Amino acid sequence: MSAPGLQGLRPWIMQRISAVYIALSLIYFALCLLLADSFSASGWVTWVAIPYNNIALGLFLVAVLWHAWIGVRDVVLDYLPNVMARILALSLVGLVLLGSALWGLKALFMVAIK
Amino acid sequence: MAVSDNRPFFLNLLKIHLPVTGFVSFLHRISGLLLFIAIPFSVYLFDLSLQGSTGFDQAANILAHPVMQLLGLLLLWSLLHHLFAGIRFLLTDLDIGLSKAHAVRSAWLVFVLELIVLVLVVAGIKL
Repeated sequence: MSAPGLQGLRPWIMQRISAVYIALSLIYFALCLLLADSFSASGWVTWVAIPYNNIALGLFLVAVLWHAWIGVRDVVLDYLPNVMARILALSLVGLVLLGSALWGLKALFMVAIK
Repeated sequence: MAVSDNRPFFLNLLKIHLPVTGFVSFLHRISGLLLFIAIPFSVYLFDLSLQGSTGFDQAANILAHPVMQLLGLLLLWSLLHHLFAGIRFLLTDLDIGLSKAHAVRSAWLVFVLELIVLVLVVAGIKL
């Protein structure tokens, strides 16, 4: 019997799907940066406010946090055999990632509705 | 403890000769952890940079600090190593480059590529 949420195959697949999305997004973001003629405060906000970019960034954030969760989870399970230590470490990691997700999505939302 | 167990036991890192493929793998994990630690700070800077021109300048000033430049370089390397080593692992999943000769060559390629892109990005930022 496996503990709920700690199975192997589904995270393994999600790790790879998110990796591909992250890699493709990074190429897109890098290209946008290269093709931009200047990097200013107004230009930056305008770029983030474009719906397509806004949603792509939101998905990027979710993909990164999901990817990080699986990766750090694997590291914790590799090096911390103690159950209490695992629960503590994973809770802390989850808290940091969920907090970052809400914060990042809020920042994206505020720009989108401005 | 069993008395007969007299195998040599040492974890002297200088005596462990990791093959280049092992280095790619080990550094993939290290860089991943560094990137994870950077997430909340990156989100903070992202949010700050979107707070009009004042916030944008504040974020730019934070990033201009010498300590932050050094950390930024470390994180840029982490990102590039994690990306290239990750692509190599994805190809491994697809059974591409499994022979020892190919695996060693692709491991070296990861290091060469990340170094080239790192230099290009840093040069691009400085220009």
